[in-house]
Amino acid sequence: MAKILELKNIHKSFDDKAVHRGITFSLEAGETVGLLGPSGSGKSVLLRSLIGLEQIDAGEILFHQSRIDTLKEVQLYPIRTKISYAFQTGALFDSVSVFENVAYPLFEHTRLSEPEIELRVREILRIVNMEDAFHLMPSDLSGGMQKRVGLARSMVLNPEVLLYDEPTAGLDPTNVEMVIEVIDRFKKKGISGIFVTHDIPAAKRICDRILILREGKIAFTGTVHEFESSPDPFIKSFLTNQ
Amino acid sequence: MVLGRFRNDMRMVGEVMVLTRDCIVCIFTRPFYLGRLFEQIINLGVGSLSITVVIGVVTGLVMTLQFGYGLAKFGGTLYVPAIVSLSLVRELAPIFTSLLIAGRIGSGISAEIGAMNVTQQIDAIRALGTNPLRVLVVPRVLAAVLSLPLLTTLSAFMGIIGGLAIASWELNMPPGFYVNKVLYTIKLHDVFGAMIKTAFFGFVIAILACYRGFQTSEGTQGVGTAAKWVVVRTSIVILISDFFLSKLLILIFD
Repeated sequence: MAKILELKNIHKSFDDKAVHRGITFSLEAGETVGLLGPSGSGKSVLLRSLIGLEQIDAGEILFHQSRIDTLKEVQLYPIRTKISYAFQTGALFDSVSVFENVAYPLFEHTRLSEPEIELRVREILRIVNMEDAFHLMPSDLSGGMQKRVGLARSMVLNPEVLLYDEPTAGLDPTNVEMVIEVIDRFKKKGISGIFVTHDIPAAKRICDRILILREGKIAFTGTVHEFESSPDPFIKSFLTNQ
Repeated sequence: MVLGRFRNDMRMVGEVMVLTRDCIVCIFTRPFYLGRLFEQIINLGVGSLSITVVIGVVTGLVMTLQFGYGLAKFGGTLYVPAIVSLSLVRELAPIFTSLLIAGRIGSGISAEIGAMNVTQQIDAIRALGTNPLRVLVVPRVLAAVLSLPLLTTLSAFMGIIGGLAIASWELNMPPGFYVNKVLYTIKLHDVFGAMIKTAFFGFVIAILACYRGFQTSEGTQGVGTAAKWVVVRTSIVILISDFFLSKLLILIFD
């Protein structure tokens, strides 16, 4: 399979604290990779770095073999329509309705007419089981619903890669199940994904490959089966403690 | 400690300059967000109408009353319409309206953008391939630059009307005399100068409020601190720059 996204020797520090100390991995087309690790290990920072929301200190990020870490903010805008980011809290615009939230990327990046946009928004809301929330405001939604609308918004432009930042965190089992189903549907559509989570059962269900981030480096990479049967004491204790 | 604070202040000035430059570039380049601009004009401009009218009328009433009785001792009551209208148009309406707007919309903008920042909505705007400067800053800056001069003109007009009422009732001045004196005293460049000044104040209020909103990072407490910071800083900048702008306008027009 073709490499869609590559990270080479990524370094990132905040003041004197080194968060990433030489991270290298790649994402292949259609693949979903689970990025796990202890709290504060820099999983979300790595995800944000991938689309330039954080600047890396050293290393290379390649999207379809082209470097994107050296691009200016304005040059990153078209890239961000292809690599989409689903925020942990949903990060919905709280002053506009669910429709306007999901339609926002379509108004910005497509020449679709308003009825076409409405149709597309209804379609994507149906995928995340939120079609009834069309006219609601974000404040009318529960945490799980907000996350699903956030997923719909990040999905609406048909990106090639979706970056999930702890999509199941803080949700009850029913909502976790719903979010996992949504991600699974996206995966079946052929969208590649990086899934940052502490939720090991969810990662095992969705991901093709697991990466463990520890002390700024990739401590483990392998399939779900390899992850579960790893003899590494850290992985074993990680599996037990989570 | 003093050196550190000075360095921070200088860094802030530099960042505001960069934001100002980027904002000006965005104002003159596509894409334009006209819908958002009209939304902000209604929010910032139309939303401030009632308070502007109140402050204008009250200033006119008090000024006329004070000058009426004060100048009466020297037989100068006849000069009241000229003094009141000129001070209202040139200074009082621009300053009072700008300070009021700094409190009302400056704190509002910084709180709104600050809240968006701490809830990752600004990151979401960037992650969705759009520029927060175009989406959030430019409409607010343009709305403030366009609205404030109009609000100031309204405030000055209402002040003159208030002055007319007091001059008639308290000072027994014929309304026709008052109006004639005002029209004779106020020149077009007085109004134009006030509009230039307040357009600048509007820009300062909006750009500082947006800047501080973007800097907010300490949760809900940070949002409150940001709003307070904006009111204090914009008020100081307005008062200090008013002197220099007044001097400049006098050199140009008088």
